[in-house]
Amino acid sequence: MRFNEKELVFLSRQPSEMAAELGMKGHKKGDVIKRRLVKLVVNFLFYFRTDEEEPMGALLLEQCRVDREDRQSFSITFLDEAERKYLFECDSEEQCREWMDSIIKASYEFMRKNLIFYRTEIHRLTGKDPLEQYGISDETRFQVSNGLQMTSGETSSL
Amino acid sequence: MKLHKKILTHYLSCTSPVDKEGYLYKKKRTATYQRRWFVLKANLLFYQERPADRHLLGVIVLEGCAVRRSECDGQFAFSLVFEGEGLKTYRFAAADGQTQESWLKALLTASHCYLSLLVRDLTRQYEEAQQLECSGESHHSSSVPALRQPSSTFLCPAQGSSTAVRDSRSFSSSNILQAQNRAAAKKSPKLWLRRNAHVTPINGPAPQYGEWPLVGSDPLEEFSKLHDYYGQEVKKVRAEWLRGRERAEVAELIDLS
Repeated sequence: MRFNEKELVFLSRQPSEMAAELGMKGHKKGDVIKRRLVKLVVNFLFYFRTDEEEPMGALLLEQCRVDREDRQSFSITFLDEAERKYLFECDSEEQCREWMDSIIKASYEFMRKNLIFYRTEIHRLTGKDPLEQYGISDETRFQVSNGLQMTSGETSSL
Repeated sequence: MKLHKKILTHYLSCTSPVDKEGYLYKKKRTATYQRRWFVLKANLLFYQERPADRHLLGVIVLEGCAVRRSECDGQFAFSLVFEGEGLKTYRFAAADGQTQESWLKALLTASHCYLSLLVRDLTRQYEEAQQLECSGESHHSSSVPALRQPSSTFLCPAQGSSTAVRDSRSFSSSNILQAQNRAAAKKSPKLWLRRNAHVTPINGPAPQYGEWPLVGSDPLEEFSKLHDYYGQEVKKVRAEWLRGRERAEVAELIDLS
């Protein structure tokens, strides 16, 4: 499967607040923890060898689960049949919490659910669909049925 | 760089709905067009030969690109222009004006950055709407759907912004308006600067000039301006399509059924 590699590498170079050297362990049985520069950009987690400019790899942060492993470590498990798990070791409990939080919130699907929630709530509170002013109220990606389970009473006017 | 493709293919095939799919013509380097089946999900544009195919030919990650009508490439043509040295432009053509318009709109609203700004804007509107509600109507909280969590979580949709996570005032409209006053957009709002907006701490100082990958405007602009620009593009496309419809004889349409 082809992909726009140059453009993705360019994306990995964009400024990001969530960029730090962490311990990272791959999913394979023999994998050991290595220090990597880990960087979160949009819904991708890039990881670099600490002295290199081009990333080693990119993980799409969709359909995955973030778990606390111990006080300073967390893991990301991708929910395909293989259930591949990547482990990350942070330098502090706080850093661990920040990374877990950021990764969860970086997911496009998570943001979509938020959007749909706010859209519905704003409509309920004000009687207006906030997406109408932007001319995007009928875009498929923003529809109530797309993300959030709602009771029939709340969806009737959207 | 290794892209963990199984994650992408799993995401594509999982139960969440796709945002758009259909046939488009993709221009090869040799300037001929090939019909491909495209599937848009989140900020990813997948393509394959036919809808039923299990084999994916490729994926285009839709971050940092401008979506442009490109009639110079032919009828119903449009392109994804990745801005940056050595980066590609993907050229497409739709079978008719309606398909073109529909894809333009879907692609314009597909990026993570766009969604991020939209969520921020709606968060602000939600807070304002809540404040306007009478404080006495406390029974409303019990009817809120299960997704709702402690408010600090939902006040911080921006990515990785640690100061914003702790400070719920980050997303007040006054901050956004202040940033807008500093801004002077010289380039297309679809370029990288827009994307940077949501990784910058709103309450913190803007990074040094040299850190931004592109020259030009302030990282954060008022969302409605961004929408106006997109809206103009879409309106333009639509107006021209309508004019074309009035003028033209019946064109030969490719039967996609």
